Amino acid sequence: MISKADKVKRAKKHFNVGSADMSHGEKRIIDIDGKRIGIFNVHGEYYALHDRCPHMAGSLCGGPVTGTALESSHGEFVYGKEGELIRCGWHGWEFEIATGQCLVDQRTRAKTYAVTVEEDALVLHI
Amino acid sequence: MMPIIDCDVHNDWSTAEVLLPYLDPAFRDYFIRGEQPGPPGAFPHAHRPWLHPEDFRRHDIQPKTEDEHYQFMKDHLLDKHNITVGILTGEEALEASTLANRYYATALTRAYNEFMINEWLPRDDRFYASMIIAPQDPEGAAAEIRRLGSHPRIVQVLMSHGSYRPYGDPFYHPIWEACSEMGLPLAIHLGGQGGINYSPIGSGPMTFYWTTHALLCQPAMSHLASSIAHGVFEKWPNMKLIMIECGVAWVPPILWRLDANYKALRKETPWLKRLPSEYARDHVRVTTQPLEQPKNPEWLHSTLEAMDGKNTLMFASDYPHWDFDDPTQLGIPKDWRDNVFWKNALETYTKIKMPASVAAD
Repeated sequence: MISKADKVKRAKKHFNVGSADMSHGEKRIIDIDGKRIGIFNVHGEYYALHDRCPHMAGSLCGGPVTGTALESSHGEFVYGKEGELIRCGWHGWEFEIATGQCLVDQRTRAKTYAVTVEEDALVLHI
Repeated sequence: MMPIIDCDVHNDWSTAEVLLPYLDPAFRDYFIRGEQPGPPGAFPHAHRPWLHPEDFRRHDIQPKTEDEHYQFMKDHLLDKHNITVGILTGEEALEASTLANRYYATALTRAYNEFMINEWLPRDDRFYASMIIAPQDPEGAAAEIRRLGSHPRIVQVLMSHGSYRPYGDPFYHPIWEACSEMGLPLAIHLGGQGGINYSPIGSGPMTFYWTTHALLCQPAMSHLASSIAHGVFEKWPNMKLIMIECGVAWVPPILWRLDANYKALRKETPWLKRLPSEYARDHVRVTTQPLEQPKNPEWLHSTLEAMDGKNTLMFASDYPHWDFDDPTQLGIPKDWRDNVFWKNALETYTKIKMPASVAAD
């Protein structure tokens, strides 16, 4: 996986997407030239996902930020990853916000972008 | 000549009174003096809400004596088609699953298993057998599985596909656990539609037998989904589910639907680690009879390919029933024949020893 620093370095455009005042579990959907991008705060770190689910091109970020039942043995339900997942608004596939990784399919990953905090502002690098 | 393992051979009787010498004395009076679902000698069970208008047995085969049941099978199936191994699946004993009295039901299946071991297996070296259980009594069934599971000729545990609830349900886990412990696949066979078991037809009973029979794949869909979803193949990784006479071509589309929904709602079953179709590929085997017969065989073949039929299907004749599949007429791709006619069964039923002549080939 490409590091955040590399993503910033490789990005061609940089946008101020508002103040860095989000808290864990919050999301903000912005529109850049018709491209919708979700900005998230997960445990104080900022992340961005293209609002396009790799499954069926649905509104990935239109779904809830959530946790889920972690892998367990039969009949056990261990809730975890609260605020670390986005559940696609269309078909409900779960993705890790930080990595874009789909929980049910290792080969499926949502497009991620780097977000940095610069003087209390969020800067999106795409 | 290609070997054939026939995975569904019905060893019928003329009267269920053959079970009496093997029935627990505590239940013998139930059988002799108790209410019967038919004339003397009828097997105790609750009946289905519809009746086959021509009887479910082939009309060209009408054995009268117990010896004739074997002799006709030998003539019309084993010798005629050069069956290398026939896996006995009983007949009415499966219907014990319809009785509310789980203890009587288990006693009846236990009597059947003893009858089968003593009076059928010795008749022919080609026989291997299924032991039958009453699934509404999971603890009693598990005890029976442990009692007989190590018999060298018992290759699977069998119960009706008509059921009280879907078979992945934890209610049945004692059965899965006992099978796993004994290294026996768990098989479901069409039957047990009545009594305490839910209607096998989702919208309620159909009017006609022929439509009902075509739709009897419905409970198998539930058992397939339930077994996978409840994680029995994670909990008991050595287990296989065998679906006998439950239809075939419906399997791929149901798995596609299960995969799609699981991807959206995996959190309901966080114990699963793979897609439903992946569990099915490794842990579910399907017998062929009655194999669907579309106008264009290619339609069937592409569907069967979608379930890796070359490696998941096992031949079954369902002798001596009205919808018997003749091994010379089976509509599968030519290059699947070795696998479907014997290799897949041999891999599934590890106790089966092929005759030296076959082993040498």
